[in-house]
Amino acid sequence: MAFEELLSDPVIQKYLHELVGPTGMPVAAAPPDGEVTDEELAEELGLELNDVRRALFILYENDLASYRRVRDEDSGWLTYLWTFEYENIPENLEEEMHRLLDALEERLEYERTHEFYLSEPAGIRFEFSEAMEFDFQCPETGAPLEPMENDDLVEATERRIEELRNELSVEITR
Amino acid sequence: MSAVEEADLSEAERAAFDLILETRGIHQSELWKELDISSRKGSRIAESLVEAGLVRREETVYQGHNTYFLMPTARDLDFSLLMAGDMLSPFIGEEEVDPRSDAFSQWLMNLAYEEY
Repeated sequence: MAFEELLSDPVIQKYLHELVGPTGMPVAAAPPDGEVTDEELAEELGLELNDVRRALFILYENDLASYRRVRDEDSGWLTYLWTFEYENIPENLEEEMHRLLDALEERLEYERTHEFYLSEPAGIRFEFSEAMEFDFQCPETGAPLEPMENDDLVEATERRIEELRNELSVEITR
Repeated sequence: MSAVEEADLSEAERAAFDLILETRGIHQSELWKELDISSRKGSRIAESLVEAGLVRREETVYQGHNTYFLMPTARDLDFSLLMAGDMLSPFIGEEEVDPRSDAFSQWLMNLAYEEY
């Protein structure tokens, strides 16, 4: 198996799982060295060919696998030879860290500039204008909507923004 | 995560690499001062680390001087910052980022009440 070091990181495992789902995970979790065909993978892993192809295609879309086609001289059939390109995982995750940072910054602004109300029994949070529309009564339970502080959420958001900026050297290089 | 290339580092290169990892990024002019070596040696070390693919370098102006900012490569980043508790960033595998989505709210709740 290749890329063992990368695959020992639980976050990377989770990332692959998120991309290919549980049925594709046997394919994503055990990339062979060098080239491999979808049939070989299906046989080796005891999976349906369709599930293997689906997983490979998702990896391909995420720049984590590539293929080349060769024609079998005897049968004339096309064979797809796949190569796993997990060396791109760190760059992909770096990009995800930037996307998360952007979302956190936008969300922080929203949390700071709005007021929220909570339906305790339903566990649902409403923004002020929504709460007003419902006459400050929970549309599901009829319980009164109570003002809700979001200090903890704001604080956690600020903290993670700080950590991500630091890790990505955002302030210094941009 | 880069055990193979690291094995070939000289003592000074290793010290510089450790400092870059530890600070998560440092200006080249600070690096050689911090390590108490000449600027010329600092520059040579930085160059060899960049060539070995262990660090990245961007041109920048710092305290009025042109210098480089040296930082870890993507593979040395702390990917666990994508996690809130045991939840991965909800934007992974999604084309669009919606900062007000329910999935992101759930992620933030996890962050506020489980992680911190």
